[in-house]
Amino acid sequence: MGSCTKCGNPNVIIKRKASGQALCKDCFIESIEKKVKQTIKKEKFLEKGDKVLVALSGGKDSVVTLEILNSYVKRHIIELCAVTIDEGIAGYREEGVEIAKAHAERLGIPHKVVSFKESFGIDLDEIMKREGHRGSCTYCGVFRRWIINRAAREFGATKIATGHNLDDETQAILMNYLEGNMENLATIGPKTESNSEMFTVKIKPLREIPEKEIGLYALAKGLDIHLAGCPYAQESFRMEISNILKDLSKDHPTIMYSTLRGFDKIRPALRQELAHDYEYDRCERCGEPSSNRLCRACTFLEELGK
Amino acid sequence: MSFTLKIKDKVEEREINGELTIKDLLDDLDLSSETMVAKKNGEIVIEEESIEDGDAIEFIQIIYGG
Ligand code: SF4
Ligand SMILES: [Zn+2]
Ligand SMILES: [Zn+2]
Repeated sequence: MGSCTKCGNPNVIIKRKASGQALCKDCFIESIEKKVKQTIKKEKFLEKGDKVLVALSGGKDSVVTLEILNSYVKRHIIELCAVTIDEGIAGYREEGVEIAKAHAERLGIPHKVVSFKESFGIDLDEIMKREGHRGSCTYCGVFRRWIINRAAREFGATKIATGHNLDDETQAILMNYLEGNMENLATIGPKTESNSEMFTVKIKPLREIPEKEIGLYALAKGLDIHLAGCPYAQESFRMEISNILKDLSKDHPTIMYSTLRGFDKIRPALRQELAHDYEYDRCERCGEPSSNRLCRACTFLEELGK
Repeated sequence: MSFTLKIKDKVEEREINGELTIKDLLDDLDLSSETMVAKKNGEIVIEEESIEDGDAIEFIQIIYGG
């Protein structure tokens, strides 16, 4: 059945169809860490003295992000801090919050849990009971971003690290391309590049790692991760695209890598053509940066009467 | 000949007649290997791994939609 391509160990935990490699547990763990470090170096994600805020949900992607970035803390290159968002999804979020807390404690990382309820006076369960709501994930995305940006400033963070993986990136590229959202397409990338001082730079250390390998890494390392599906996850265009990509990957195992690589090549041209730097001002209501009178979060809150 | 299969908190005893691999079992249960990791007797294994009498198999779903 084959043994590890690197060390000959007969206990193989993965066969990578894309490269033909078979790896044992130790060699697999090493290969993931090496790849993430290469991405960090190539994209110049970290500078000595950075304080990096990890958006830590307790799911595999954020836990693995924290774990690998922590090796830079050990080498005294960066500092870490973490924020966990409690959207208020009963029966789902609690476990993730507990797992996130335990990881932050284990690694000695300053951590806070911030809820939608304390930030906005309403939680996701309550929003979902309202008539004419915009769909759970729309609120989640906008409200989380608001909380993360604010937490970054409170912690004095110089970077925000998110757990976006190869699947997330390729899904976003394909979705925006197929829908003709070229302005959005032009904003996808390894780092956010806003001219505004009001935003903290966001980095995606796992962007070149397939989602499945992140899960496998977490299990191989014995990391406790929150394994559950959100009760509000619904059929979405993103999910359809995700299914298509996963299906395609079976017979074309390099398809996600090539999509990302190709996109990264045309990205500078796209940005030049399409990305405009909005004039940012402050939201009248909350003071967060916004290109309109009200930021998206406050627009939603006004609709909700909050 | 039989083995145990654990998915989440559910454990069941299953019969084997002849050759059976992790992949065959995933296919039988209509589960996708793209979202599942398999353990055999506590160790992570690949899809080609065969299941034998007395094995404890566990499937862990690592990818969820949404
Ligand atoms: S799937 Fe659930 S947790 Fe994720 S964005 Fe949607 S509502 Fe929020
Ligand atoms: Zn090896
Ligand atoms: Zn606002």
